[in-house]
Amino acid sequence: MAARLRRARWLVYIYFRCLGQQMKAILAYEADFVILMISAALVQITGFLFIWTIFQRIPDINGWTFWQVVMMYSLVFITEGVGSLFFEGTWRVSRLIYNGNFDQYLLRPVSPIVQVLAGAVGFNGLGNIITGGMLMAISLGNVQVQWTPGRLLMLVILIVSAATIRVAINLGTAASAFWIKTPWSLVPFFVHQLGEFAKYPITIYSLAVQAMVVVAIPFAFVSFFPTAYLFNMEAWSAIGLLTPLVAVYCLFMAVTIFRIGLRRYESTGH
Amino acid sequence: MRGFNKYFAMAKASLEVIFVYRAGFTVNLIGSVFYVVAMFYLWQTIFLGKPGALGVFTWPEMKAYLIVAFILNSTMTWFDEWQMGADIREGRVATDLARPIDFQLKRFAEASGPIPFELASALAIGAVVAFVFGGIALPADPAHLALFIVSAALATLLKFSIIYCVSMTAFWTTGMEGVSNARMAVQNIFSGALIPLVFFPDWLRGLASVLPFQGMISTPALTYLGAMDGPTTAFMIGTQAVWALGLFLFGRLLWRSAVKAVTINGG
Repeated sequence: MAARLRRARWLVYIYFRCLGQQMKAILAYEADFVILMISAALVQITGFLFIWTIFQRIPDINGWTFWQVVMMYSLVFITEGVGSLFFEGTWRVSRLIYNGNFDQYLLRPVSPIVQVLAGAVGFNGLGNIITGGMLMAISLGNVQVQWTPGRLLMLVILIVSAATIRVAINLGTAASAFWIKTPWSLVPFFVHQLGEFAKYPITIYSLAVQAMVVVAIPFAFVSFFPTAYLFNMEAWSAIGLLTPLVAVYCLFMAVTIFRIGLRRYESTGH
Repeated sequence: MRGFNKYFAMAKASLEVIFVYRAGFTVNLIGSVFYVVAMFYLWQTIFLGKPGALGVFTWPEMKAYLIVAFILNSTMTWFDEWQMGADIREGRVATDLARPIDFQLKRFAEASGPIPFELASALAIGAVVAFVFGGIALPADPAHLALFIVSAALATLLKFSIIYCVSMTAFWTTGMEGVSNARMAVQNIFSGALIPLVFFPDWLRGLASVLPFQGMISTPALTYLGAMDGPTTAFMIGTQAVWALGLFLFGRLLWRSAVKAVTINGG
């Protein structure tokens, strides 16, 4: 047990060392860094303007008010930001495998999954996290919530779980590159686009779309269910409590799929 | 005629590249459909909840607006700041400078080549979405359709000109990912791609009307719907043409002055 714990700590250490090197590489280009941050903020401001304009005309969407939808948006952006800032490497897997460069990960005495996760840094993620965090704070300030220590703790757990689900989806779909060889992240991008459905209350969709974002690719647990729990929205709120379990399940599935893929990896050009 | 032939050949080559990567192209396009489908559900809920919420639009008209926006957004998807930025940064433009061709026209040919394929795919997907959601409004008058085609062509030229001008920042920065995302964000809100501009409050609508972006989606979509009277349509399409050509020429100017100052990597 102690040995396993030591190994886990060592992997976390390695992960941050790798990530640190990537960060240095990017921070060398100061202007790029600033432009990326500004662009991420712009994307969110336009998203915010969009729902704000809609709510100028209607009081609510299926019982969800403006600030509740803003909360969903903020979760979508924050989790996306965490994915970019800390785990951008999943988006490089396709190209690495396509070029045969994935070999380098296998030659090092560290779990390839940790190396994949630490393989790149997307500084636009920092912009997403900051503006998303601001939107969330404003949203929480405008909705009546009875804050207890338990609820506050749950907020933190829900944010961490939501981010975990998104990263797990990225990692699991990135593993598709072991089967489908293209230089682009085809399947990951395709699935990532499904995240569009996470921006609005799932009650607006048909049953098929709902089933897809609740069961198949659980984007609903990134934004909808956590928000429903925090704001006590009808029957949905109880399901929000399942978010941490869904996160664990997604992570387990992603790692399993990635390991199966790893076993089939054969280097290009040999 | 010979001058035109070489650019036509480049456009054709660029279309053939898309055919080679058709799987990637199709997946990208289907991926972008999720956004449109989410929009359809959102607006449907809004409309069913409060039919007056769409203001001047009926629901079939709103659906048509969304489909037209999707189709206009699906052209020139392979032309972006990244590619041009990389060519400039890595010095590949040196080869272009050495050739007896016009740099901007070459880019334009390459950007337009895939349009037939992009348009065909987008029309097919748009038709399916429109069918699933119970059909869309068609132009009431063939004249609207004819004007729409003119306006859509200008919108495409405008898109090229804007991306070309923005790409020139590659002479000063390597951060093309951020530049491209920023342009997309501004374009999405002010072109009317996210939401028809009439829904904006006055200050935002005023801002949109002095920017070139409205010509990318709003003007052609409103022309399709026949939502503007005759003189307004003429004025809006005229504005579109002025922006499209003006920025096209401005891009030439930028390129010329930038190239004078450029030092190619390693030479």
